[in-house]
Amino acid sequence: MAKDEDTRPDPEALLAAAARDGRGRLKIFLGAAPGVGKTWEMLDAAQAKAARGLDVVAGLIETHGRAGTIGKIGTLEQLPRRAVPYRGQSLEEFDLEAALARHPQLLLVDELAHTNAPGQRHAKRWQDVQALLEAGIDVWTTVNVQHLESLNDQVARITGVRVAETIPDTMLDMADEIELIDLPPAELRGRLQEGQIYRPEVAARALKDFFREGNLGALREMTLRRAAQRIDKDVTRYMRLRAIPGPWPVAERVLALVAADGAAGNVVRHAARLAEALHAPLTIFHIERGSDDARLQAALDLALQLGGQVVTQSATDIVGAVLDYAARQNITHIVMGRRVVSRWRPGRRLAEALTRRASAFTLHFVPVPAAAPAPPRSPRRPDWEPYAVSATLLGLVTLSGLAARAYVPQEAMGLIFTGLIVAMASRSGRNAGLFTAIAGFLLWNFFFLTPLYTLSVADPRDVVALLVFLLVGVLTGQLAGRVRQEAGAASARVEALRRISLFGQRLSRAATLSDVLACSAEEAASLTPAGIVLLADAQGLRAEASHPPGTALDEAAQAAAQWCATHGMETGAGTSTLPSVPWRFLPLTNSQGCIGVLGARPQAPPSAPLAQALAALAGQSALAIERARLSLTTARAEAQQDSQKLRNALLSSLSHDLRTPLTSIRGAAETLSQAGPALDEATRADLLASIIQDSALMTKFLANIMDMARVEAGGLTVRRERVKLEEIVEAAIARVAGAVYTRVNIAPDAVFAQADAGLLEQVMVNLLDNAVKYAPPDSHITVSAVRDGALVRLAVADAGVGIAPGELDSVFDSFFRASRGDRVAPGTGLGLAIAKAFTEAMGGSIRAQSPRTDLPADGLPGTIIALELPAA
Amino acid sequence: MISGRILVVDDEPQIHRFLAPALSAAGFTPLRAERGEEALRLVAGNAPDLVLLDLGLPDMDGQEVLRRLRDFSAVPVIILSAREREAEKIAALDAGADDYVEKPFALGELLARIRTALRRQGQPAAAPVLELAGLRLDADKAWLDGAALALTKREQALLLLLARNAGRVLTHRQILTALWGPAHTEDVAYLRVYIGQLRRKLGEDFAARLKTEPGVGYRLEG
Repeated sequence: MAKDEDTRPDPEALLAAAARDGRGRLKIFLGAAPGVGKTWEMLDAAQAKAARGLDVVAGLIETHGRAGTIGKIGTLEQLPRRAVPYRGQSLEEFDLEAALARHPQLLLVDELAHTNAPGQRHAKRWQDVQALLEAGIDVWTTVNVQHLESLNDQVARITGVRVAETIPDTMLDMADEIELIDLPPAELRGRLQEGQIYRPEVAARALKDFFREGNLGALREMTLRRAAQRIDKDVTRYMRLRAIPGPWPVAERVLALVAADGAAGNVVRHAARLAEALHAPLTIFHIERGSDDARLQAALDLALQLGGQVVTQSATDIVGAVLDYAARQNITHIVMGRRVVSRWRPGRRLAEALTRRASAFTLHFVPVPAAAPAPPRSPRRPDWEPYAVSATLLGLVTLSGLAARAYVPQEAMGLIFTGLIVAMASRSGRNAGLFTAIAGFLLWNFFFLTPLYTLSVADPRDVVALLVFLLVGVLTGQLAGRVRQEAGAASARVEALRRISLFGQRLSRAATLSDVLACSAEEAASLTPAGIVLLADAQGLRAEASHPPGTALDEAAQAAAQWCATHGMETGAGTSTLPSVPWRFLPLTNSQGCIGVLGARPQAPPSAPLAQALAALAGQSALAIERARLSLTTARAEAQQDSQKLRNALLSSLSHDLRTPLTSIRGAAETLSQAGPALDEATRADLLASIIQDSALMTKFLANIMDMARVEAGGLTVRRERVKLEEIVEAAIARVAGAVYTRVNIAPDAVFAQADAGLLEQVMVNLLDNAVKYAPPDSHITVSAVRDGALVRLAVADAGVGIAPGELDSVFDSFFRASRGDRVAPGTGLGLAIAKAFTEAMGGSIRAQSPRTDLPADGLPGTIIALELPAA
Repeated sequence: MISGRILVVDDEPQIHRFLAPALSAAGFTPLRAERGEEALRLVAGNAPDLVLLDLGLPDMDGQEVLRRLRDFSAVPVIILSAREREAEKIAALDAGADDYVEKPFALGELLARIRTALRRQGQPAAAPVLELAGLRLDADKAWLDGAALALTKREQALLLLLARNAGRVLTHRQILTALWGPAHTEDVAYLRVYIGQLRRKLGEDFAARLKTEPGVGYRLEG
C-alpha cells in the first residue's frame, strides 16, 4: 500500500495544525514605512467586523495625532492605557492584564515592534501578543518591514538608520493572515508633504532622510518579497496538510482590479511593479460597464504595455466574479484602488466586500491620487431629445386626460402618468425618468387632483404619490441603464468573438502551411497597415509570409522579432521592449514552444482591443501552423509509403519482365544444346528466333528503364526545333514490331511541330508499342495530326481493350501496369510514364481518352492517346 | 527411360515455345494450357502424368487451380514460380504440390525433378523397409552402410518421413504437423535442432543429401 503512504498527510503538518487549536488567530498588517496606512486599514477592517457583531476591542492604537486615524476608531471600545512612571515621566502602555481580563473576540494592538517600558510583564509588545494568542484571543496588529529581525542589517544599510525595535521573523511566519498595506513611494511622500503623517517641521526633515524615494522603494520591495515568501510557505503548508502531491508550481500571481476611475492607472502601475518584484504574472481584471471611459482605456493600454494580460468579464456580481476568477487562477495578490469615500459607487462596495470575503488573497489598496484628475469627459452635446419627447407625451396625456375627464378617475390618471414615467425612464435613462416623474406629478397635481388647478401638496397622499413617481423614475432608469450597458458590452464581445471566429474559419480553410502563413500575414495586415509572419528554424527567424507583398523588416525590427521569439514575449510598438520599432511582434506559441513570430505594423502603439485582436490572431495562427505542419508530416509519411509501394511495384515488374524472357532464352538455348540433334530443322529455327526476340524485348525494357532514370534524375536535355511529324511517325512505326499496318493521317496545316526529334520519336514508339500490345492483331492503329490554334494535336488511336474511366489519368503513372500484378501483357508499365515525361519536357501535354466515340459500340472500346505540341 | 504426358500450364507463349520441344526431346509428351480452366479440363479429360503449374495465370489464381485439381486428382504437380513469391510457393506445397522450380530454371534440373516426381509416384506408398543410397531403415531402426545408427525416436521418425518423400520438398509445416501435431506448426526452431542432430549422426557424406530449402523446408535427395 505504498501509494496510500505517499498521500498520507504529513504528521508534522497535522501536529502544527493541532497546536493552533484553542489559540487565537493573528493577523498582521504589514507596511513598508510609517504612514502607508496600516493602522487606518486595520481600524477600517475592524469596523466592518464590529458592524457584523463581532466583539472587537481596540487594545492600543497609535494615532500619531492623525485626524483620519482618530476618526476611524469611531465607536470601537478602547481599553484604557496603563500609566507607567518612568524616570519621572509617565508613559502610557498597553494594559495586558486588562486585555486578558476583558477577553474580547478580537483585539487590536498597534505597533507590534514596540518595546515596553521597564517593569512590564514582557519586555516587548510581541511577547504580549503571544500571551494574548495563547489565551485564545484573536489579535490584529501592525508592523513595518524594517522591524523584522532578519532584515535589520539590510534596512540599516539602505536607510542609514538602525532600527532598535525588532520582532523575530517567526512572528510573521506564525501569523494566520498577512495583509500587505502598500503605497507607492511617490504617493507616500506626497502624503508626508501634505502633513498627513507628521507635523510639518518633522515631515520636512523626514523627507530628506528616511523618506527618500530610494529608501522607500527599497523598503517596499523588501516588504513585497517578504510577503511573497510567506505565501509560498502557506501553500506548502496547505499542501502538506491536505497531502496534495507536490511539487506544485507555486508562483505568485497578481490580479489588478481596474474600474473607470482616477485610480485605474495607479492600480495598474502598482500591480505591475508588484508582479515584477515577485516575478509573478500580472492579470488586469476588468468588469465591463457602460461607463468605461478614456481613463480606463489608458489604464488597459498601460497594462498591456507593462506585459499584463487583460481579462474582461461581464457580470453583475462583481465581487463574486473577482473571487471566482482569482480562485480559479490561483491568484495570490489582488491590487485595487483605495475606496472612494465621497460618493456611493460600486467601487466602495467592492473594496469592502473583498476585505470581508477575499481572505485567501493578499489585498493591496492603492490610493486615488489626492488631486484626482477630473474625469476627462468626452464633450457631450446636451441631448434634449428625450426631454422633448417626454414633454410632448406629457402634454398629449394631459390633454386627452382633460378631454376624457368625465370617464377617467383621477387615480387612473396617476397610473397613466406612472406608465409614462416607466416608459421614458426605460427608453432614455434615469434623468429623463426623473424629469418625467416631476413634470408628470406637477401636471397630475395641477390638472387632475382636487383642489383642481392648484399645486398644493398638503395632502399626505400627494407626498406619497410624488415619492412613488420619483422612485419609479429612478429605479426604472437605473435598471434600464444597466440592461443597456450590459447589452452594449455583450454585443461588443460578440463582435470580438465574431472576428476571432472569422480568423479561425479563414485559417481552417488554409490547406497548406504556406496558405496558413499567408492568411495570418493578411489578417495581421487587415488589422494594421502591414503584417508579417516569421518562423524559427535552426538558422534563426526567417520571414515566411508578408502582406502587402514585399514587406520586409529592417535591422531594428528584426532584432525586436528575435527578442520576441527568444523570450516568448511581445515586443516592439506599445510594449516595454524596443518600443521604438514601428512593428508589434507577438510570439507564436504552441505545444512545441515558440515556433515563430507574428508581426503587425500599426500606425500608433496598438490600443487594447487591437492588441487583444492581434493576440487572438497569434494564438489561432500558432495552432493553424501546428496543424498544417502535422498534416505535412502525415502527407510526407504517406508519400514515403507511396514511394515504398512504387519500389515494390518496380521490383515486381523488373522481376516479371526480366524473368519471362530470361526463362525463355535460357530454356531455348538449353533445349538446343542438349537435344539439338534430335530436333527437326523448323523447331531449331523457331527456338533460335525465340532467343533473338526475347533478347530484343529485354533490350527495349532496359532502354525504357534508362530513359525513366534519366527523366527522374532530371538529366533530360531538350532541343526544341521544327520537326516534320510524318518523318518521325514513320521512323517510330519502323521500330515497333506489329505496327507496320498503322495508318498515318496528317492534315496539311499540321505538318510541322516544335519538338525534340529524338524524344518525340521515343514517345511515338511507346504509344505505338502500347497500342499493339492491347489491340487485337487484326485491328487498325491510326496516327493522326490536326491543327488546333497554335497547337498540333497528334493522336494514336487503337481498337483495343481500352482503359477504365477511373484510370485515364493513372495510366501515365510509373509502373501503373505493374501494380496490377503480372497477369497482363508484358511491359514495364513505364512506356506511358516516359511518354508523358518527354512530352511535358517538350512543353506539350498528353491525355488519354477511352472509349473511342468513333468505333461501333458492340466492339472493344479502344483508346486514343493524344499529344498537344506547339505548332511550327 | 521414364515417359509420360506432361501438362504445362503457363500464360507466357515463350515458355511453351521451348518447353514443348525440350520435353519431347526428353521422351515426354507435352500438353499445353494457358489458363486455369483449360488446365483443369485437361487434367480431368486427358489424365496427364504430371503438371507443371505457373502460379500467375490470367483467369484464376494458381492456388485455386491446385486446390480444385487436388479435389479429384493425385497427379504430381511441380510449381513454376518466381523467387519473390515465396509465400505463394509454400502455400502451394502445403496445398499438395509436390515440388517447385524457380524461374528462370535450368532445363536439366526441371527434367530431373520431373523424373523424381514420376518415380515416386510409381513406388508403393509404404514399403516396410526403405533403401536409399547406402541408408537402410524401417519403422524402428536405421543403418548406414551396414552400421546401425543411434537415433532417438523423434530422429528416426523424421528421417523416415524425409526418406519416404525422398526427392520432394517437405515444408516446415508439413514436417511439424506430421511429427509434433498441428499445434506446433510454427515451431521451426525445434525442427532446425533435430535436422542438425540428424546431419551429425548421418555423417558428412550422407548429410549432404539432406538439403535445406531456404525459407521453405527440407528435401532428402533420392
